Amino acid sequence: MKDFMMIFIGASYEELGLSPEELQGRMGKWFAWGDKMGKQGILKGGEALVPTIKRVVGKDRTVSDGPFADSKELIGGYYIVTAENAEAVVEIAQDYPDYDLGGTVEIREIMVFDQ
Amino acid sequence: MEHKIVDHLFRHHYGKMVAILTRFFGLSNIETIEDAVQDTFIKATLQWRTRLPDNPEAWLTKVAKNRTIDLLRSLKAERNRVEKLAGTSAPIQLNDLFLDHELEDSQLRMIFVACHPKLKPTEQIAFALKTISGFSTKEIAAALLTKEDTINKRLSRAKQTIIANKLKFDFPHQNQIQDRLARVMEVLYLTFNEGFHSTNRDKLIREDLCGEAIRLCKLLLKKEKFRSGALYALFALFCFHASRLESKTNEANEIVDIKEQDRKTWYFPLIKMANVAMNKAMEYEDMSIYHYEAAIAAEHIKAKTFEETNWEKILTWYTLLQELKPDTFTLLNMAIVNLQLNNFDAGKNILDGLSISDLGQRAYLYYGSYAEYYAKRDDLILAISYLEKAISTTSNSLEKAYLTKKKLQLAN
Repeated sequence: MKDFMMIFIGASYEELGLSPEELQGRMGKWFAWGDKMGKQGILKGGEALVPTIKRVVGKDRTVSDGPFADSKELIGGYYIVTAENAEAVVEIAQDYPDYDLGGTVEIREIMVFDQ
Repeated sequence: MEHKIVDHLFRHHYGKMVAILTRFFGLSNIETIEDAVQDTFIKATLQWRTRLPDNPEAWLTKVAKNRTIDLLRSLKAERNRVEKLAGTSAPIQLNDLFLDHELEDSQLRMIFVACHPKLKPTEQIAFALKTISGFSTKEIAAALLTKEDTINKRLSRAKQTIIANKLKFDFPHQNQIQDRLARVMEVLYLTFNEGFHSTNRDKLIREDLCGEAIRLCKLLLKKEKFRSGALYALFALFCFHASRLESKTNEANEIVDIKEQDRKTWYFPLIKMANVAMNKAMEYEDMSIYHYEAAIAAEHIKAKTFEETNWEKILTWYTLLQELKPDTFTLLNMAIVNLQLNNFDAGKNILDGLSISDLGQRAYLYYGSYAEYYAKRDDLILAISYLEKAISTTSNSLEKAYLTKKKLQLAN
C-alpha cells in the first residue's frame, strides 16, 4: 500500500458566492465522503486551506499577496489516503463534491525514501 | 450518519444572525454584516468537512455569537478611539439578544424593514429573500425567474434607500401597524405565489419559497399585536395550498392539474392546520381577500373527487372577492368556474370582456380558457387553435409541455 495526496484545486467558495443553503449541501457531501473514507480506514489526514496567499518568487525574493486574479486555480485543501495504486485513488476521487463548480483533484503519490 | 444536520439550518441561521447583528450595529452596516455572516458559514463548511460537531445547531449558534462579539469589539475599539466611549455592558446585552424571543423579535423587525413603503415592491421581495431567508442572488433570480443582474440592482437600490432614508431597525408606530402589516402580508402572499403558482422548473425552489412564506407568517402570528383575521386567513390559505404542493407535479416534473391529482397524496396535517387557522380568522371582525381565497382553496380540498367540487360555492366566493378587490385574474377564474358549471355564455362573456395586457406572463391562461370553452362546445378546431395560441404565448417549458399534451388529447 502507498500513500497519496489528493489536492483540491478550484475557485474558493467566497469567490463563487455560494448561498448558505448551497454551502450546507456542499458540506454534507464533503462530510459524507470523509466519513466513507474514514470507515474504510483509508483516510490518513487532510486540511482545508485559508484562501489568502503569500508568494515569494525569484532570486530577489519578491513577495506578493494573493488570492491572485486567476483564483480558479486555488488549492483549497488536501486529503492523504492509503491505496494500492493511483488508479485506486482515481476511484476514491469520484466522490469529490466540487466537480460541478469546476473543481479539480490532483493525485500525487507521496515519495518514500530508503532508510 | 449519526449527526443529521437540520434542513435549511444554514439558511435560517443566516437570517437570524443578520437580524441580531443589525439590531446591534444598525441598518447602515448591513453590507458589512452580511459579508461577516457569509464568512462564518464558509468557515463552518470547511471545518465541518472532516468533523461534524455533536450538535451542529448549538455549535453554529455559539460561533455566530462569538463572531458577533468579535465584530462588536472591533467596532467598539474603533469608536473608543474616536469618541472615547466608556465601557458598556455590551456582552450581557448581547447574550440577551440570543434568547429565542429576542431572536424572533429581531427577525420580525427585519420583515418590517424589508416591507417598508420606501422600498419598491420588487425590491421588497428580493431584499426579504436575501436578508431574512438567506437566499443568494442566484437563488433569488431563479426563484423570481429574473436575471441575476436585475436582482443585484434591486438589492443595492433597496440598501441605498434604507441608508438614504435612515430607516430604523424597529417596528412601525402603533397607529401605522395595520397599514404596514397589510404590505407585509402582500409580500408574503407574493412570495408564496411565486412558489406555488409559478411553474419554476426547480421543485426545490418552489418548495423553499412556500416554506419561507409560511415560516414568516407563523412568526408574525406568534405576536399578539400582529394577529388579525387577515393574518390567520393568509396562514390558512398558505397551508391549504401547500398541502397539495407535492401533487402539483409528477416524478417526471410534469404539471398535474387539480383534476388529475391524486387526492390521497394531499398532506393532511397541513389541511388540519389550515382549518384551525380558518376558525381563528373567523374570531376577528376584519375581512380580507385572504378570507375568500382561503375559502376557495378549502372548497377544492374538501371535494373528494374533482367531479364533486362545489363550483357554485366557489363562484360565490369569487364573486365576493371580485367585489372586495376587482382583479383581472379573479375574473378569469370566474370564467373558468362558469365553464365548469356549464354556464357557457356567462363564461364566454367574462372572457370576452378581459384585456390580455392585464394578464402579463399568464396570458396563456386566457387562451387556455377559450380553448376549454370551445372544447366544451365541441368546436375542436377553434379549441385547438386557441391551445396553439396559448402554447406560443408561454415561454415556460413545463406549461408548454402541459398544453401540448392537452392539444394532442383533443386532436385524437
